[in-house]
Amino acid sequence: MDQEARNGELTHHVSKKPKLTRCISEAEIRDEFSHHQHGVARINNGSFGSCPKSVLADQQKWQLKFLQQPDDFYFNSLRKGILESRAAVKDLINADDVGEISLVDNATTAAAIVLQQIGRGFTEGRFHRNDTVLMLHCAFQAVKKSIQAYVTRAGGSVVEVQLPFPLASEEEIINEFKKGIEKGKKDGKMIRLAIIDHITSMPCVVIPVRKLVKICRDEGVDQVFVDAAHAMGSIKIDVKEIGADFYVSNLHKWFFCPPSVAFLYCRKSILSSDMHHPVVSHEFGNGLPIESAWIGTRDYSAQLVIPSAVTFVSRFEGGIDGIMQRNHEQALKMARMLANAWGTSLGSPPEICAAMVMVGLPSRLRVMGEDDALRLRGHLRVRFGVEVPIHYQAPKDDGQPQAGARDKDGIITGYARISHQVYNTLEDYEKFRDAVILLVEEGQVCQMLLTE
Amino acid sequence: MDINGCDAKISDTHLPKKPKLSPTLISDTELESEFSHHVQNIARINNGSFGCCPKSVMSAQQKWQLEFLKQPDDFYFNGLKEGILQSRLVIKDLVNADHVDEISIVDNATTAAAIVLQSVAWDFIQGKFNKGDAAVMLHYAYGSVKKSVEAYVTRAGGYVIEVELPFPVNSVSEIISEFRRALERGKVNGRKVRLAVIDHVTSMPSVVIPVKELVKICREEGVDKVFVDAAHGIGCVDVDMKEIGADFYTSNLHKWFFCPPAAAFLYCRKSSEIDDLHHPVVSHEYGNGLAIESAWIGTRDYSAQLVVPKVLEFVNRFEGGIEGIKKRNHKAVVEMGEMLAKAWGTHLGSPPEMCSSMIMVGLPASLGISSDSVALKLRTHLRNNFSVEVPIYYRAPGDGVVNPVTGYARISHQVYNKPDDYYRFRDAINQLVNDKFTCELLS
Repeated sequence: MDQEARNGELTHHVSKKPKLTRCISEAEIRDEFSHHQHGVARINNGSFGSCPKSVLADQQKWQLKFLQQPDDFYFNSLRKGILESRAAVKDLINADDVGEISLVDNATTAAAIVLQQIGRGFTEGRFHRNDTVLMLHCAFQAVKKSIQAYVTRAGGSVVEVQLPFPLASEEEIINEFKKGIEKGKKDGKMIRLAIIDHITSMPCVVIPVRKLVKICRDEGVDQVFVDAAHAMGSIKIDVKEIGADFYVSNLHKWFFCPPSVAFLYCRKSILSSDMHHPVVSHEFGNGLPIESAWIGTRDYSAQLVIPSAVTFVSRFEGGIDGIMQRNHEQALKMARMLANAWGTSLGSPPEICAAMVMVGLPSRLRVMGEDDALRLRGHLRVRFGVEVPIHYQAPKDDGQPQAGARDKDGIITGYARISHQVYNTLEDYEKFRDAVILLVEEGQVCQMLLTE
Repeated sequence: MDINGCDAKISDTHLPKKPKLSPTLISDTELESEFSHHVQNIARINNGSFGCCPKSVMSAQQKWQLEFLKQPDDFYFNGLKEGILQSRLVIKDLVNADHVDEISIVDNATTAAAIVLQSVAWDFIQGKFNKGDAAVMLHYAYGSVKKSVEAYVTRAGGYVIEVELPFPVNSVSEIISEFRRALERGKVNGRKVRLAVIDHVTSMPSVVIPVKELVKICREEGVDKVFVDAAHGIGCVDVDMKEIGADFYTSNLHKWFFCPPAAAFLYCRKSSEIDDLHHPVVSHEYGNGLAIESAWIGTRDYSAQLVVPKVLEFVNRFEGGIEGIKKRNHKAVVEMGEMLAKAWGTHLGSPPEMCSSMIMVGLPASLGISSDSVALKLRTHLRNNFSVEVPIYYRAPGDGVVNPVTGYARISHQVYNKPDDYYRFRDAINQLVNDKFTCELLS
């Protein structure tokens, strides 16, 4: 008997232009996210993302299918399912060829893949000792460590580009980047790789990647890797326009997939043939997409539900574009509401925010370091049921902070990164607003806060 | 065959330190219910490939998954690390390791191999090892491990030696002498043997390797490091780290230890030398030790790693816990293997004492299994036409052998199997033979 027929429809064909009968309602959205803990103002979609019930249900179907008859699944379903997911991603990001799309667990894994390849350039003598890798100083910590593990260890050197924050315009970013390139090329060194965030994590700003990639090409940078962990589902992605060699984005952050799945786009070139998944299976040598599609027995279901996530977003007015637009508008609206209520300011202009915005916290809270930021975050979670990450921004050395980085009581050193996703409501941000107002009224400072 | 049968003899192998056997043993009905999600009416005699997971563990897993989805930040800060530590502690006890630091949890043995081999590659790259120094592995090493050795060791300048193992095999001494021979080749021209990769139970063809003896030989012959790949480990063979004495040891937990896909442990013996092992997916935990690195490799679903304590509860509902399950599986698979060999007029691929919960059974020569791809086609034919799931191994015939057996089925036995599964396989093959079927007929 045909296994597939008995277990119901296997393929999840989604047409490019889904024809809606009606949009998802408010009540349906609430239901889709009803598993989220009640009573928590969950304004941190950026860290771990979210997944609606209908996608979770599809995931469970895939998981069960494997457990029911794993051999049959392996031989007859898995490859096909992964290919469909990859094809869906290719369409979403305007890539030329599905062969350019690999699915991996997360951006952290993609970074390891790209950096291992660079590392081999050093250890196998294709690159000179101390040739450079360029990155933003606020690059995600995992990426920094990956550079240490694969580049520094192999004899490469690292140049950090300072990201000014708070920011008045994207020009500041571009200028700093140009300085970094100069530094990277000093004394005849070659820049072997530039790692550019599309949306930085902490502090969070949107980087003008297309312009920076062009600068890299003009300046003879070997390879460009865009780390766009947050991009998919929060900002438009057109990989041909951006023009990088490698581009990664998570799908479990802003594209409603369950933990965890990311795509790594590798522009077709001679480079792509030396890209390998570090967990080597019998598929080694068959190309990164095929290698990544089998790294030993494990649960691939998060990678298999991408078509399901595409269906989910199509239920919204304007699809994913509509979601992105509304998230952006709401995040800004809420951020301004908070800044007004607290007498503070935003960390960057609206046009370089996506669905996350940095909002200055009252200086009276005295966020004086990373520990304080973490303590404040814990206190907000435990006492007020507010989940939001806090960023500590050291005041500039010259004692002359940019205009706007002060409130009436002093220098703003703490910023909250608020996110807006479809499940958020006004109450979430009002709760946060009131919590901070209360802390200030109570005369609390971060050092004193309890997190138990 | 009595699934819950009592073994009169008390196990003389290592038992978990604190066996919390449940007061009532699992009943036949409960057992059937635990695996009722398996497609019914197929003879699922291939537990060795992908393992299995009972319903009670699946629902424990779903609880963990929901915890994360409910409030992921809280879970990350307050739940995850402790959960992973609890799992590691359970494993430490099960395998008789000295210290929980020695236990890391990773996705699968394939990942563990990449970790160990990457470390060896760095030793070559950074000049600790000389180019041309050797790594020794079994010819029957798992395909992924062989590729991993190529990707990391060969690429970094190591020289790979394969131990030719006979199959069918008649005694452990055959394996031991081949191994010694390979080590000799490894030391030719002043080379040093830097690494030995030894399967505890080979995959295809499946034989139990005398790892303790081979590790001892490695020590005597000055092999730097020994890595035992026991993908089929816990729940299949005796897994005692101190007894075996390897430097690195990995076993899957989803194959024979009822974890959901996928979880495995990598044991790294604490030694005076600092082993610089790292998870290849580098996170902010880089440098904090392999166990901590492996417990956070970016946002993902760690639930399969978190249910290990629940799995221990499950196996303790069986008479004798995991030891009892292991022994009964072995007894049953040998019995069924002998039954099939007799019915088909063939033979087993190894003596029973060199089998675990899997056994190789020769298939009638008349089937004409002539290559690896033909073996795969026969497997598909058995799945589609007879509802039998069993992997087939092709073994090229020796010169001049008349009417050779060239195909072996690797049958597994796990707690959900019944005699009928094997009778169905027996009858399927008999029917094919009676119908004068040959694999040539398969497209």
